[in-house]
Amino acid sequence: MTKAFRATGWLACALSVILLFAPLGCKRRKVRAQATVEEAPGLASTIHLGDPRMAAQIVSGLYGVENGAWRWSARRFAVVLRPPAGSAQKGAILRVKLTVPPVIAEREKSVTLTAAVAKSPLPPETYSKAGDYTFQRDVPANLLTGSDPVRVDFELDKALAPSDADSRELGVVVLAIGLESK
Amino acid sequence: MTRDPGTRLLKRKSAYLGPAVLAGLCLLVHWQSFTAWFRADDFAWLGVGLHVQDFHDLMRALFSPQAQGTIRPWSERAFFMAGFSLFGLDALPFRVVVFATQFVNLWLVMALGERLSGSRAAGFCAALLWMVHGSMVEPLGWTCVYNQVLCALFLLGALRFLVRYTETGRRRYLVAQWAAFLVGFGALELNAVYPLLAAGYTWLCARKYFRGTLPLFIPSLAYVVLHHAVAPFARSGDYAMHFTGSMLRTAGTYWTWSVGPVFLWSPFVLPSWVLPAGVALLTAGLALFLAGKLRGGGAQAALFGPLWYAVTLLPVLPLRDHVTEYYVYLPLIGICWLAGWALVESWKSRGAVRWVAVALALVYAAMAVPQVVAASQWNHRIAARVRNLVEGVAGAHELHPDKSILLEGVDTDLFWNGVLDRPFRLIGADRVYLAPGSEQAIATHSDLGEIGDYILPADVTAQALERDEVVVYDVRGSRLRNITSLYAQRPLDRKLPLRVDAGSPLEGYLMGPEWYAVDTDHRWMPRRATLRMGAPPAAGMKLYLHGQCPTALLRGGPLGVTLTVDGMALPAASIHPGESAFELAFALPADVVGRPEMQIAVEVSRTFIPPGDPRQLGLAFGVFEVR
Repeated sequence: MTKAFRATGWLACALSVILLFAPLGCKRRKVRAQATVEEAPGLASTIHLGDPRMAAQIVSGLYGVENGAWRWSARRFAVVLRPPAGSAQKGAILRVKLTVPPVIAEREKSVTLTAAVAKSPLPPETYSKAGDYTFQRDVPANLLTGSDPVRVDFELDKALAPSDADSRELGVVVLAIGLESK
Repeated sequence: MTRDPGTRLLKRKSAYLGPAVLAGLCLLVHWQSFTAWFRADDFAWLGVGLHVQDFHDLMRALFSPQAQGTIRPWSERAFFMAGFSLFGLDALPFRVVVFATQFVNLWLVMALGERLSGSRAAGFCAALLWMVHGSMVEPLGWTCVYNQVLCALFLLGALRFLVRYTETGRRRYLVAQWAAFLVGFGALELNAVYPLLAAGYTWLCARKYFRGTLPLFIPSLAYVVLHHAVAPFARSGDYAMHFTGSMLRTAGTYWTWSVGPVFLWSPFVLPSWVLPAGVALLTAGLALFLAGKLRGGGAQAALFGPLWYAVTLLPVLPLRDHVTEYYVYLPLIGICWLAGWALVESWKSRGAVRWVAVALALVYAAMAVPQVVAASQWNHRIAARVRNLVEGVAGAHELHPDKSILLEGVDTDLFWNGVLDRPFRLIGADRVYLAPGSEQAIATHSDLGEIGDYILPADVTAQALERDEVVVYDVRGSRLRNITSLYAQRPLDRKLPLRVDAGSPLEGYLMGPEWYAVDTDHRWMPRRATLRMGAPPAAGMKLYLHGQCPTALLRGGPLGVTLTVDGMALPAASIHPGESAFELAFALPADVVGRPEMQIAVEVSRTFIPPGDPRQLGLAFGVFEVR
């Protein structure tokens, strides 16, 4: 028995030593530098939230892409958009494709979405049933100056508070946000 | 004892088989931990040797109290310093060491389990039950928790040598026990309880050696006294000790995490009574087995398992506000010895007892294994995201070595695991910041750190973009994406910042002409220096000054520091000898509240000229912050 244990001990020690020195063959560089994507993305008038390349236009309040198609929003969220051609003269249409999920509709009864373009609020819209919606508002020309990017802020009056099931504050599901020519 | 060579060979093979199977199963169950990268505190320890220049620095890095006053030269300092200098940020060699240590631990648990129960199968079962528990995930999957694994090695090793000494009477085992015990102090403070374990074992199983264990208490008591003198116990915060009734509640919590899954959590949606019921059943099973053993007499060894559990858990019970899952990693060994023994002995008996034991083992596995898998996957996933970030920043730094890097899209998990402990300094990228507004996407943990310290203010960002001194990367995809040109088109809030880092070259435009150039991460002032910054938005806020005051400047006594804000002199402050790293707070006058900016002038009562440097130096800053 003693010999067996001693042998086992030697085996364990040998294994440890082998494992200990095995990585000596590894490269001794401090870190493996990962290639980055360096091509400059252009600023879009409409962002499809399932497209990770559009993430740079998200300022805040929109979580990671889900099912390659959409993102959950927080109660407040914001994006930056490029005004479409001619919008400085004619204005534009702000269009948001969104879904009010059943869990929000059931728990909150209704939810109201407000948008503000360059800090100027637009009329709100209330949704009292779960389903797919398009939030659409005229944006006056004076808020869109040439090709300068414009910040669009959104606010919901209600959202699901973070919970054990999901640590995020959850508002609505957003598929696309865009400024379109009139 | 048989002399037949064939039988001997068979026995030897079977002796190898158990540890080999345990090691294989350990790799299988904890594969996600084996392949996990670094995260969070790992980076603080990986950087511990960055500033070591000479032997004195090395001794300081190895033995000075750090992080809650801990002194763990082998398991943290030397482990990370040697590992980083040899392998950089390649996590595999670290994991290999951790797992190799754990394989030895599993063998020791098995061997000691056999000695206690007299059954090799019971020892094997004990090691198996320990290995599948959720408390194993962080010690194996999070490198900075290696102290637990190494401490287990020293405690189990010392005990194994003691057992061999009691069996053979050979002095070399006694010497080996002392060596393992004394060296073990460099792994974890918990090593100090070893004399209780040794005394307990000999009292229960080898009474004539009991007196011989008493000298072991001398080093432990000396260590506790010395450690307390060098690094006194915390009196506030999460690591404060509470010698109150809360210890019983904490013990109760740890018991449920020991017999059941840690945090009493399961990845499955279960009725709330299921896990507590499982814990109750297993507790009852263990209690019945122990009672049966004691009633039968002659099985005092059965008490050693509970004794090990109580002794190794005792030191963490006063940490009422720092209840941590891996604190049961070591104590659990004692319970597993008892449980392994119970399982094998019940299996040998006839009738319902056998199947009750099997059912209880299945209940344990059903609670423990899914939790292990889920927790390992979580750990692996977070570590992979952190790796993606750090290696991506390394790539960006290679492309733009002279520019600061701004990270957009960092969320809560990524910040606390991949930014807080500044991993980028390990790759030479010292100027990496979070984009303004990032704090909105990151949950606060003020006990761990301030998110604001990592964010580049909006005005500073805009200025740096205009001067082409910063590149902006979006971290939300699978690879870092350069979005500098797009980000530059975003409208940014141009208010002057409420926090100015004088040591940042990007914030030089806020500093007056009197300041000297940036030295690595700080900036020296002469006798008087000025700067601009944002004014407080509300009344009652203070201006905090953080920096370093050279010892040479304090030799002449306290150093006077005066401050004027928009020409208004504030009550003077002073820095006293011994306060080299200073923080001064000045109440701001109501007149400046709401102004777009304020002009600050700092003046010190004297300066000094260091040898070989013609500059007249006052203080080294540091940060100016309104809060």
